[in-house]
Amino acid sequence: MAEKVFMQGNEAFAESAIRSGCKYFFGYPITPSSELPEYYAKKAPTEDLVFVQAETEVSAFNMIAGVAATGKRAMTATSGPGFSLGCEAMSYMAAAGLPAVVVDVMRPGPADGDILAAQGDYFQIVKGGGHGDYYTIVLAPYSVQEMSDFGRLSFELAEKYRNPVVVASDGMLSKMMENVELPEKIEVENNFDWAITGAKGREHNVITTCALGPEQWEQFNLDLQAKFNLIQENEQRWEEFQTEDADVIIVAYGSVARIALTAIKIARENGIKVGMIRPITLWPFPKKAFDKYPDKDYFVVELSAGQMVEDVKLSVKDKERVEFYGRLGGISPTPQELFEKMKELYTK
Amino acid sequence: MKSEMIFSGIGGQGTILMGKLVCTAAAAKGMNVTLAPAYGQEKRGGRASCQVVLSKEIGSPVISEADTILVMDEESFKDYEKKVKAGGTLIINSSMISLTTARTDINVVEMPFTEIATNLGSARSSNMVALGAVVKTLDIVTLEDVKEVLRKKMKPQLVDVNLKALEAGYNFTK
Repeated sequence: MAEKVFMQGNEAFAESAIRSGCKYFFGYPITPSSELPEYYAKKAPTEDLVFVQAETEVSAFNMIAGVAATGKRAMTATSGPGFSLGCEAMSYMAAAGLPAVVVDVMRPGPADGDILAAQGDYFQIVKGGGHGDYYTIVLAPYSVQEMSDFGRLSFELAEKYRNPVVVASDGMLSKMMENVELPEKIEVENNFDWAITGAKGREHNVITTCALGPEQWEQFNLDLQAKFNLIQENEQRWEEFQTEDADVIIVAYGSVARIALTAIKIARENGIKVGMIRPITLWPFPKKAFDKYPDKDYFVVELSAGQMVEDVKLSVKDKERVEFYGRLGGISPTPQELFEKMKELYTK
Repeated sequence: MKSEMIFSGIGGQGTILMGKLVCTAAAAKGMNVTLAPAYGQEKRGGRASCQVVLSKEIGSPVISEADTILVMDEESFKDYEKKVKAGGTLIINSSMISLTTARTDINVVEMPFTEIATNLGSARSSNMVALGAVVKTLDIVTLEDVKEVLRKKMKPQLVDVNLKALEAGYNFTK
């Protein structure tokens, strides 16, 4: 086992991405994501990396699209306001099948908002964000270890399905420091038969977001939908904590899932049997997890006014048994606060 | 075995560095450590704080009630005085805080970090005096563990004075 290092979430992701062969980073700094570009900028001269601080996120997102089209690993990182600017490119990358990786470190909005932790970008990330019928795979880490793990997994999934992947972090998780085991460094030599690499001695490859005529364009869309269906079938990921004997199942992701772990302990000490389903993929949403427990109460906690809760209601048998609790403005609830809320809801 | 602490002050007082040093010492002993920092958008003078959890297992980075809370300025005192667990310790920077707590269910340590550090010849080491006071309240991390981290992490010319400051804070209370 490799030695553990004490590291920040953003930096762990960046180091892991570098060790996973992502040599291209284009971005525009924004708190709480700025350590990601900073880390790449610092390492660029010695690690043979390409780092460009773009003039805006609009450019940065289009730059990663360009590199991804050549089959090389490229990423950017931003927070809500920057992700909004990148959404046009997200739609184009999804249509063109470009396997780029974007880290969105969520902070409370709307607009400038604040710089602490939030999860209010859920709708934007999970439901597309840009125009048209598309999805991106969305991974939600909940520890610095997973920030590191997903620095590799995100590229593997993006390339497997030729689809952009978004990593949904938040202002708590990205700034947090924990001990982490980093992956071994690998060299990545992709030879995708679709990549634009110069057509010497072969037919031209065409990457396009355009098919002329409604029938052709419908077929283009149907092909995309077939891919999204396959992803939904294969890639639903989640983790369960003490769900089997639970009366109440918390549903939470990211840093909130961490707070919930301690809240579960307090609740069980006080006689309320609580467990948790922690979605690891926000898209595809882990519907299968809920099929196993049709007769339980669900308690959804988010740092938003209630976004993921809609997907939970679509996944359970009885949506009347879904309760919601959210904090806004960058405030994270304490474990005790979650327990008090559950006591109020579930003890008579 | 679990220890939860909060360090809070004004940007520049070194509260987050203190948290990092404690975490580094605990991580070296195989503990799971989590440091969650929080600071404002201000470039100077804003709140800078961190919540630190040392534990065998992985849990919440957000603390309901802490075993030890260090407050470096009066605003931090007002915000965190009530978050000390019953039986826990509130460490107060009396160089900058003239408020007193009405709580009788906790241990209170009032220590003039700046004066102690100044007497040692380095006012800038006052956060190490504070760190010494914090380490005194911990079981998981010893004074020697933290000294070892200082020796490894600090510039050689700064090690001696900061070790002295750390010891002064540690030995202030019996």
